[in-house]
Amino acid sequence: MRGLGRIRKQRSSSLLSGYLLIIVSALLFIPVVLPLSFVLYNMVNEVTKGAPPVDTSLYSSVAALETMWHKEALQLEDASSEGINERLHELSRKYTEATMFWVDGQGMTQLILTPDEGNPDHGSEVPEQWTAAEAIFFMKESTKRDPLAIVAFMGDRVDAGKGFMVMQIPNKLLNKGAYGGVGAWALYYFVLFVLFGGFALVSLLFFRKIRKRLLQLQTAMTITGPDRMPKSIMTGKLDEIGRLEEAFNTMVAKLDESRKREIEEEELRKRLVSNLSHDLRTPLTVIRSHIHVMTKESLTPQGQQSLELMDKRIADLSVLIENLLSYNLLNSGRITLKKERKDVLRLLRESAAAWYPVWEKENFEIDIDLEADPLFWMVDEVWFRRILDNLFQNIVRHASSGLYVGISTESRNGQRVILITDHGRGIQSPSDYKGAGLGLSIVDLLMKHMELEWDMESTGDGTSIVIFNPRDEI
Amino acid sequence: MSVTLLYIEDDHEIGSVVSADLSERGYSVRWLRSGEGATEEAAPCQLAILDVMLPGLDGFTVGQRLKRAYPKIPILMLSARTSIDDKLQGLEFADDYLTKPFHPDELAARIEVLLRRNGASVQDSLTLKHLVVYEGDNRVINAQTQEEVMLTGKQFQIFSYLLRHLGQIMTKEQIYEAVWGEAYLEGDKTLMVHIRYLREKLELDPGNPEIIETVRGIGYRVRA
Repeated sequence: MRGLGRIRKQRSSSLLSGYLLIIVSALLFIPVVLPLSFVLYNMVNEVTKGAPPVDTSLYSSVAALETMWHKEALQLEDASSEGINERLHELSRKYTEATMFWVDGQGMTQLILTPDEGNPDHGSEVPEQWTAAEAIFFMKESTKRDPLAIVAFMGDRVDAGKGFMVMQIPNKLLNKGAYGGVGAWALYYFVLFVLFGGFALVSLLFFRKIRKRLLQLQTAMTITGPDRMPKSIMTGKLDEIGRLEEAFNTMVAKLDESRKREIEEEELRKRLVSNLSHDLRTPLTVIRSHIHVMTKESLTPQGQQSLELMDKRIADLSVLIENLLSYNLLNSGRITLKKERKDVLRLLRESAAAWYPVWEKENFEIDIDLEADPLFWMVDEVWFRRILDNLFQNIVRHASSGLYVGISTESRNGQRVILITDHGRGIQSPSDYKGAGLGLSIVDLLMKHMELEWDMESTGDGTSIVIFNPRDEI
Repeated sequence: MSVTLLYIEDDHEIGSVVSADLSERGYSVRWLRSGEGATEEAAPCQLAILDVMLPGLDGFTVGQRLKRAYPKIPILMLSARTSIDDKLQGLEFADDYLTKPFHPDELAARIEVLLRRNGASVQDSLTLKHLVVYEGDNRVINAQTQEEVMLTGKQFQIFSYLLRHLGQIMTKEQIYEAVWGEAYLEGDKTLMVHIRYLREKLELDPGNPEIIETVRGIGYRVRA
């Protein structure tokens, strides 16, 4: 029952039905609203004219009045004076606004019927006795004058000799009638305009509302909260857009859920890496410490050499573990970096200072030429040091045969770049130590995160690594 | 008087061998198995060595508490985690950081640097070539002539900064910022001038310095 009500509600509030309502009401304009406008017009007219109410439509057509008058005159051809009087009285009761009189064959005015007895204007111009000149003048002027006079000879012919009858209609009625015609058309256009305007307005509002809601939805999709996820939105009416909004909210909820799961998995991964690191390094520490204890015992030179080698391998293993686990963490892409404007040459000097003793110990030729002007890039200091550490470590471990390390800056294509060179056998050569790949992968990942570019040119005579900032220095 | 170290390590195997090694090197070691009671134990110590992964309170928490209670005691963290992982946690409070598996010599060297930096070295005096330096008394004696070498304030500050980081190469920026307390501007000759005067007083042959070594392209170093 509730479901049915819901469906009905959905249907009744659907955009389609809403739009159909507008269309149907637009179609109903002509058959329903236009006649209504005429009725309205009459009502308005009556109200404005005031009492007594006059049916001005009677006077709206002069031609019809003339036809009527001539017909009456024809019928009255053989009537007596009394008959004519009676008929005119009757007509006068119908055409209350008209002045009527008739003149007999002898030119004597017989009856003057004025709409308002108290009004002296009417009929006062009608002479008692018509002379020929007066008649001609009256006829001549009748069409132009106010009031308009419609003249018909009794029997509707001059030769009947029974005189003529006149109906005078005030121009204001006729004008009103004419005006009424024009007014109806104006009103017609006005109403049409208002209604079509109204239709356009309603359509506009209808579509604006749809547009507004769609835009809200779009905004909700693009604007993301602090956790980089779109937030769910308030659903409005349960029409098509309302259902779209509901679907959107469902989607957001699902995204949220999967994101939470992702975070959980990430936490798990971190914990796993952390535990793995601990579990691998702890025994190595024990072994290394005990190797150190053993070196203090009296051993043969061969034994001492073995211990030294073991110690070195443990150090290598430590680097491998570090790189492996770092790579795992970095590759998950959820590590945040803190980019700051840093003088990378300074970082380079400090890092080189830390590695200097190592290179010295290995009898490297150290060639550091970092020009004076600082080179500011947006980097994460710790990560940038890590990049340098990995690169320097590679030189010690994979290019020790060259006994050379060079650190310098250079101008390439108008940009200052960092150049780290060695004279080893190149990265592709079979090295005494494996594992350079992972260290360089980490370098690559970190560079990408900091939006730095790097290049490696490796030949059999050495490797040079170029680090540059594609966005130029800042 | 020997230097006392606070050492917190939960792993028995590592703890016993490291504390034995450190004792052999002349330190008196207070080894705790967890962070509990660390603050009380730290009172007579000159340096604290902390493992990051501890049962109960982790090394970061213990370290931060120690630093709050005794801001002067340097803290050396030993970590068995990856450096990226630790970086996320933040080791701002720690004075140094060493990743396991470390070499015992490396640990001893770091401890010595930290103690020297903090003015709690094992030795009272330091002999460098022909010079004997009494850091506590701000005195430098020329052993050949038995005369005191008179240094100006800035000269002594530079020299003692390099001595505190004995064997380490310090960049021009690091020295300048430590001594003058302001940002180093590239091209500033002040430090170079001071070093030149310092060498004239310290070195037997200032044209061929043996005490303060220039590391080309990086900075300066006083070798142990």
